Amino acid sequence: MLRFILFRLLHAIPLLVAVIFVILLMLQLIPGDPVQAMVGDFPVSPAFRAAITKQYHLDDSFPVRVYSYFVNLLHGDFGYSYQFQKPVLDLIVETAPRTILLTLVGFLIAIPVGVLIGIISATTRNKRVDHFWTSSALVAYGIPTFWFGQLLVLVLAVHLGWFPTQGMGPLVSRAHGFSWLWERAHYIALPALAFAVHEGTRFARIMRASVADTLGQGYIITARAKGLTRWAIIRGHVLRNSSLPLITVAGYVLGSALGGAVLLETVFTWPGLGLLLVQAVRMRDNMTVVGIAIFAALAVIVINLLVDLLYAAIDPRIRSGS
Amino acid sequence: MSGAAAIEPPSAEAGPLARAWRSFRTTAGNIARTRHGAAGCAILLMLALVAAFAPLIAPYAPLQQAPASLAPPSWENIFGTDNTGRDIFSLLIYGTRTSLAIGLGAAFGALIVGGAVGMLAGYFRGVVESVLMRVVELFQTLPVIVLVLFTVALFGSSFWLLLVAVILAIWPLQGRLVYGQYIRLRGMDFVAAAKVADLSTAHIMLREILPSAIQPVIVQVALDASVAILIEAGLGFLGLSDPNMVSWGQILHVAQDYMTVAWWTSLFPGAAICLAVVGLNLFADGLNEVVDPRMRGRLAGLQT
Repeated sequence: MLRFILFRLLHAIPLLVAVIFVILLMLQLIPGDPVQAMVGDFPVSPAFRAAITKQYHLDDSFPVRVYSYFVNLLHGDFGYSYQFQKPVLDLIVETAPRTILLTLVGFLIAIPVGVLIGIISATTRNKRVDHFWTSSALVAYGIPTFWFGQLLVLVLAVHLGWFPTQGMGPLVSRAHGFSWLWERAHYIALPALAFAVHEGTRFARIMRASVADTLGQGYIITARAKGLTRWAIIRGHVLRNSSLPLITVAGYVLGSALGGAVLLETVFTWPGLGLLLVQAVRMRDNMTVVGIAIFAALAVIVINLLVDLLYAAIDPRIRSGS
Repeated sequence: MSGAAAIEPPSAEAGPLARAWRSFRTTAGNIARTRHGAAGCAILLMLALVAAFAPLIAPYAPLQQAPASLAPPSWENIFGTDNTGRDIFSLLIYGTRTSLAIGLGAAFGALIVGGAVGMLAGYFRGVVESVLMRVVELFQTLPVIVLVLFTVALFGSSFWLLLVAVILAIWPLQGRLVYGQYIRLRGMDFVAAAKVADLSTAHIMLREILPSAIQPVIVQVALDASVAILIEAGLGFLGLSDPNMVSWGQILHVAQDYMTVAWWTSLFPGAAICLAVVGLNLFADGLNEVVDPRMRGRLAGLQT
């Protein structure tokens, strides 16, 4: 197992380097003054210009610049955001937990709902119950998350006033303990719901296919012949064997969501990485954009690694490499 | 050439085009007989007709302004008007063109790029395989949407830039799928037989293996188109789609500021996006069922 982990790690590092290289290549493509490209729409004094040129080796050739950027990265220096007046790393460290929180709450709703709907429709295959859930899941999956978010805000927040329309809560709150949690839950409810509907129905579609596949296997017939109840069969034999496709897709969704759910965060003004990215792009704060891009790629790589490990933990055949 | 002609079955009096047409007709008929496929075909056919005959269907020119801005739905403007008095129904009709062009264009672009890479990586072993698959992995790891936002903000938006961007975002999936198919087929007896018969590599890849590999790939094309439509709508919603074109996402971008007083600016464009995406997914389900009858009642699109 340890060998497997090491092998995957060795595989991930060159990938990360290549990704960063491509992102830096994008930074080179920005037309015009490279100093201005680093700083954004921001007045630069000559002294400042000289300092930046020296720090990022802008007078040197491309390979030297890339090398020095990597050295900076390894020292934890992602550059400085002149728009936000903060180091880019600080910005990311500040906003990333909000995106992670939103994504995790969304997942906590989406996974059980998706698994449940998938199992219900696979076990009632081609009956009315299945048709109902399959069609509903298909339509719900086709709804664009950001539009669904708009509708939720319109109906549940603006008209009914049950939820706040945007943000993640007051900066200063008088509430404590449980009521504080309750207050925060009101803010996260709608964005998490919009996320969970789209992803939950995606998971349901996958679960239905893989559970249906598993139910056709010989060992399920054996289990049934032994007189196990339907629930015991599903819990003991079906769930684990049908979970691999779900883990693959869930990992893919998680990885891309952690890089910032741009649309979702824009609709709800949720101050996470996605919203930061949109602001940075609008203000041409390129160092911040590059920092977020690197963080997003890192999230995908780390999640893929975790998915591989989970795979190996669930399916011994993968561990032994056959 | 005479040797190749002799391999043709004697019953094939018609040319390859006619035979392709016949098999297309059979497949289309079979799709229309599945429950999901029929619904999907109906929706797609309707959207295609709307896009083709947009000027005949739309009551107003897309940019023509009515006297009343933000007018609620009425007989003059059945879906109401937006903040500058444009008829939303007419905007949606013309927006169908943009969405279908991006959806189909990007799906076929992804088919060509992903297909070529997957084919080469799957057929040749060794260096070609590992280098190409690392490229696929690189593109799957790159936060393409971040880079798309970045590029569009820097260079301004245009239809072609959007199309390329969406293709770059979705091609790796298709590449992986084609790669998997070629890996599965490259060891089969008919490929070995074709090699013994001294057929050219291009002939083996395109004429021998491709017909056996193509079916799930076509299902993926339909799914890719739905993802592309969603990406374009999302970019439009952020205000980053081509400003010279009418698109569903763009209407939603404008609607963001007015939807509390004018719900119709948001409801109808979103429903249009939903319809197109659901139509493509239904079509993919039907196609999947026809392609692989064992899949009856299951769903396509494990990957998307």
